Amino acid sequence: MVSVERYRGVVFDPADLAEDVDLDVERRKEILFAEARLGTWTHFDLLGLPWNASTEAARAAYVEKVKIFHPDRYPGQRLGSFQARLEKVFRRLTEARDALADETRRAAYARATAPALELAAMAVRTLEDEKRSGERRARLARQNPLLARAGRIAEFMKRGREGMAAGQFSQATNDFLLVASLDTGNREAVELAAECRRRATAGRVQECLEKAAGAETMGHWGQAVQAYRAALELDPSHLKACILGSRAALQQGDGGAARDLAELAVKAAPRNGAAHEALGVALEALGQKGAARKAFERALELDARLETAKERLKKLRWSFLG
Amino acid sequence: MSDLDLDPVIGIDLGTTNSVVATVRDGVPRVIPSRTGQLLTPSIVAVARNGKELVGNLAKRQAITNAENTVYAAKRLIGRRWGSREVEDARRVLPYELVAGPDGNDVRVKQAGKVVTIPELSALVLAELKADAEAWFGRPVTRAVVTVPAYFNDGQRQATKDAGRIAGLDVLRIINEPTSAALAYGFGKQIEKKVVVFDLGGGTFDVSILDIGKSVFDVVAVGGDTYLGGEDFDRRIMDWLTFTFAKENGGVDLRQDKMALQRLKDASEKAKVELSSLPAADIHLPFLASGGDGKQALHLTKQLTREKLEEITKDLVDRCIAVTEKTLNDAGVRPSQVGEVILVGGMTRMPRVQRAVKEYFQREPCRGVHPDEVVALGAAIQAQALTSPAQPGSDVLLLDVTPQNLGLMVVGGYFQTVIPRNTTVPTSQTHLFTTVQDNQTSVRIAVLQGEKERAIDNELLGEFILAGIRPARRGEVSIEVAFDISADGIVGVSARDVDTGQHQSITVTATSGLTEAELKRIMDERVDDLLARKQSSVEFQQARQRATAAMREIEALVPAVQAALERSRFGKDAVQKAEGVMARVRQAIDARDAAELSASEEALDRTLQLFKGLAGQGARPPGGG
Repeated sequence: MVSVERYRGVVFDPADLAEDVDLDVERRKEILFAEARLGTWTHFDLLGLPWNASTEAARAAYVEKVKIFHPDRYPGQRLGSFQARLEKVFRRLTEARDALADETRRAAYARATAPALELAAMAVRTLEDEKRSGERRARLARQNPLLARAGRIAEFMKRGREGMAAGQFSQATNDFLLVASLDTGNREAVELAAECRRRATAGRVQECLEKAAGAETMGHWGQAVQAYRAALELDPSHLKACILGSRAALQQGDGGAARDLAELAVKAAPRNGAAHEALGVALEALGQKGAARKAFERALELDARLETAKERLKKLRWSFLG
Repeated sequence: MSDLDLDPVIGIDLGTTNSVVATVRDGVPRVIPSRTGQLLTPSIVAVARNGKELVGNLAKRQAITNAENTVYAAKRLIGRRWGSREVEDARRVLPYELVAGPDGNDVRVKQAGKVVTIPELSALVLAELKADAEAWFGRPVTRAVVTVPAYFNDGQRQATKDAGRIAGLDVLRIINEPTSAALAYGFGKQIEKKVVVFDLGGGTFDVSILDIGKSVFDVVAVGGDTYLGGEDFDRRIMDWLTFTFAKENGGVDLRQDKMALQRLKDASEKAKVELSSLPAADIHLPFLASGGDGKQALHLTKQLTREKLEEITKDLVDRCIAVTEKTLNDAGVRPSQVGEVILVGGMTRMPRVQRAVKEYFQREPCRGVHPDEVVALGAAIQAQALTSPAQPGSDVLLLDVTPQNLGLMVVGGYFQTVIPRNTTVPTSQTHLFTTVQDNQTSVRIAVLQGEKERAIDNELLGEFILAGIRPARRGEVSIEVAFDISADGIVGVSARDVDTGQHQSITVTATSGLTEAELKRIMDERVDDLLARKQSSVEFQQARQRATAAMREIEALVPAVQAALERSRFGKDAVQKAEGVMARVRQAIDARDAAELSASEEALDRTLQLFKGLAGQGARPPGGG
């Protein structure tokens, strides 16, 4: 039934529909429905408009709505309780019109009542607009030969920063290096390029570590060792890659590789207990018990809480004495 | 349903100088002429020397000889407070005497030794128009829409409504004059544009901006000055005349002589009107000042050029344009966005005014409406719309606004707006009050209307005392006061305790209008008078019909009667007597004297019976039967 659909969510009081007034049932329902929804409807809803409708649309909708909801439209008819209802709706309609007919107020109201989806879409549109206008400016700058060089510099600088902000460090490094080549005195570009390169490396190292961790989880120790080695090629002093690489090599059964990697770790961080501990484990696996014991002792000297080192040392001491 | 089956409804333009009544017949709005055939009725009420009340043209005709007892421009005083600037100004220039009402709030007029309220005086004009309409329709008229200047405040509107009640009218709605004019302009046309109504009447200036679309007349903003109009232009001419007269006649001050002043006023108005179509007007006032002490009487002979008039009234025209500019700013409308400018009010006939409007809007004002009649026509259209179902193509809906900020006096004597001006009516707004003292049981609220920052500079509508507040610690009781502006622009106030939901009583301690009790008293007093008036309109018609029929019969019988009398020794003077009676009846009909007519009716009837008898005798052979 159409009427059920139209007045969804509102149950009409039979007493209201039966009141002895000169209004037909449909009109009563329309009035009762509007009255019931006054509290929940936005100005746009009340005027029957989509969110963010224009001031002109609001004015036009108001004119149509008041023809239904202004008490003067029922001359000589008995309105009973509907008189007050009509007035109530009319007042809200006027309020809605007043808020939406003025562009400043309308825009503020639209912002305040924006549905979440619309808000997100709007944010994207804003970003796109900014990007487009940036590109346009750059294009204009290129077209002017006098400004071309400065424009290009500014463009690369900007793109570099944007890339940096977006986490695209290799691209950004490139841009800053380009700036530095175009504008040789630009210290900032040089520094930024260095910073970006560092971050780019860190990013790639991180990728390798993640790859290695993934391989370890699946028990592909060889792949893991390869990934750790790749990370160490990028950053030879990466302690975590050394230690984890050494452990993975041991799991793979390659004690020599494990020892080499652990030695790298000790070299990278001579005062790190965990590095010495890893070396100890590798040496022990290779059967070099004396060297292993020394390594464990050194590890515990640097960090007394290393459980593996403590346990291993106990065993080594006992077996050595025994 | 044809118009004839419905109770007739009328629209009344109650003007400062002239009033007009109109109705809608067969879908066409038209002005109802007075019983003497005039379209405009002067808004003048007088008490003649013989104690008889005179209204309209009759009152205007005797104004010069009876200036103290002739009240004109009562509209300038209606709903005004005693002691206000407007009333003080009026006291200086009006020839009749103003006194304060019993509470010292409202203004009253002393007329022939009797103190009369302003609504009563306006009611006499309304009653006159009502009687004109009743004579025109041939049946009683009780419902009307009455117009007021858009800039009228609550007190002035209320007083106008009271005047309608005193006149025996059910005032369906008080509407604004410029809105009414726009209604008459746009009625039945498919217009969609912004329209500015520039209404410069006898006493008030109004400007309204409307958005007309799809038969909805939506007022966007109104502005005006209730003390700027044609009478101010007249007074400029009067001042110029008295000044030059004094200069040329060794300092004779005409302002001391009420009769001279009235003659000057009439002559000034006439000259002003003439100057709208002629480049110069001659003013002749012979024997304006009696010489006295054997000196010769003084005459006034002057020529006023249009140029001079424009010079001495330039600032008045400038004021109109300044108000117009402010109103457009309020509405956020640029002059170039205006689709039509409608000129209303007699003063807009002045070429200088038309030129100023044209210069400001950069467009030719609309000439399609009659500036004197358009307001009444619009009121008639609204009256029709409020009483009968809309006809296709001619349905209208008026959305008017409140002309001034409505607010309260707050701590420090400042004015706080609750409902800002240009808010569409009907509207309502609530305001929360809390008690400021422990166990406070009453709150005094001063309700004001106006634009000024300081409360005291605005119009005080009334002081309300909220009493019977439950005792509690300060700040614990919140009272919600609801301000309501009806479609008439009339303010209502109600209050309720927020926590208990209990309604608080409100006592009005001061208004510029009449109290309900006073209104009742006046209406009781007027009942007899109104009944007499009713008779003089409806019953008079019937009496006239009866009398004319009787006279026709008598005249037809005259030859037979004369023949009969020739053979008789009796009743030689019967025909002569009958002619005397008939002359009296004719006179009574001409003078619309209902009392005289009904008094003569019996004599007429007797004559007819006598004639019938005599004629019957004559028809039969003498000596027979």
